[in-house]
Amino acid sequence: MIAVGDKAPGFELPDHLSRKLSLGQFAGKRHVMLLFYPLDFTPT
Amino acid sequence: MPETEALLPRFRAAHTQVLGISVDSIFCHANWAHSLGGISFPLLADFHPKGQVAQSYGLYLGDAGITDRATVIIDAGGTVRHASAVTPAGRRDIGELAALCEKVDAEYGSGLADFPSPAGLGKVDALYVKSNCGHSLKAILGRDNLHLQGQVALKNVTEDSAAMGQLNSLTGKDQAPCLVVDGKPMPEADDIVRYFASHATDIG
Repeated sequence: MIAVGDKAPGFELPDHLSRKLSLGQFAGKRHVMLLFYPLDFTPT
Repeated sequence: MPETEALLPRFRAAHTQVLGISVDSIFCHANWAHSLGGISFPLLADFHPKGQVAQSYGLYLGDAGITDRATVIIDAGGTVRHASAVTPAGRRDIGELAALCEKVDAEYGSGLADFPSPAGLGKVDALYVKSNCGHSLKAILGRDNLHLQGQVALKNVTEDSAAMGQLNSLTGKDQAPCLVVDGKPMPEADDIVRYFASHATDIG
């Protein structure tokens, strides 16, 4: 797992609202919280 | 996810953009988000190549083909400030994570601008849809995931001939889905969903 202090790897991915979002677009403007989860339609 | 949706004002106040991410497709995400009562923050599809982003964060569980349940907080300078995994079956404490984001924001040197207020949808006539139409479903899911049911009325042109007549007179054709705003028709499902997202939420 990535560690505190590391540079976050960049990415660009589509979202469920028909957009393409990248980590870079938030640089200098927002902090980002990534919630990784196993699968849709599964518990918790 | 619904717990996070409920706490979005707190994350916004801490200048934090929340992004969900799994290996599912955007279509699966949109339907799942709808089944949860609507999720308005972005759910990213790490779908193709499968799990590539999770892999770059060391969070892809290759044997199972899924992503670990894990949280990474990145400050506006691009540095990881928190990383934790609770296993796929585990639960995370969203309140605790909100407090961590508030701490990161307080410690971050330069103050960040607040999230802007959304522009608003304008004068929406209706979202015209057809029965048994995947494009119409996509537009409806977008509306509902952004909690816009109260602002965007549906008119089903398959079931309602008066609605079909209105769509025809407004647009000169019977193509649906079609969102009509300020008298102007917008016919493509992806454009409609992007319009909802860019006018009703605060990210581009």
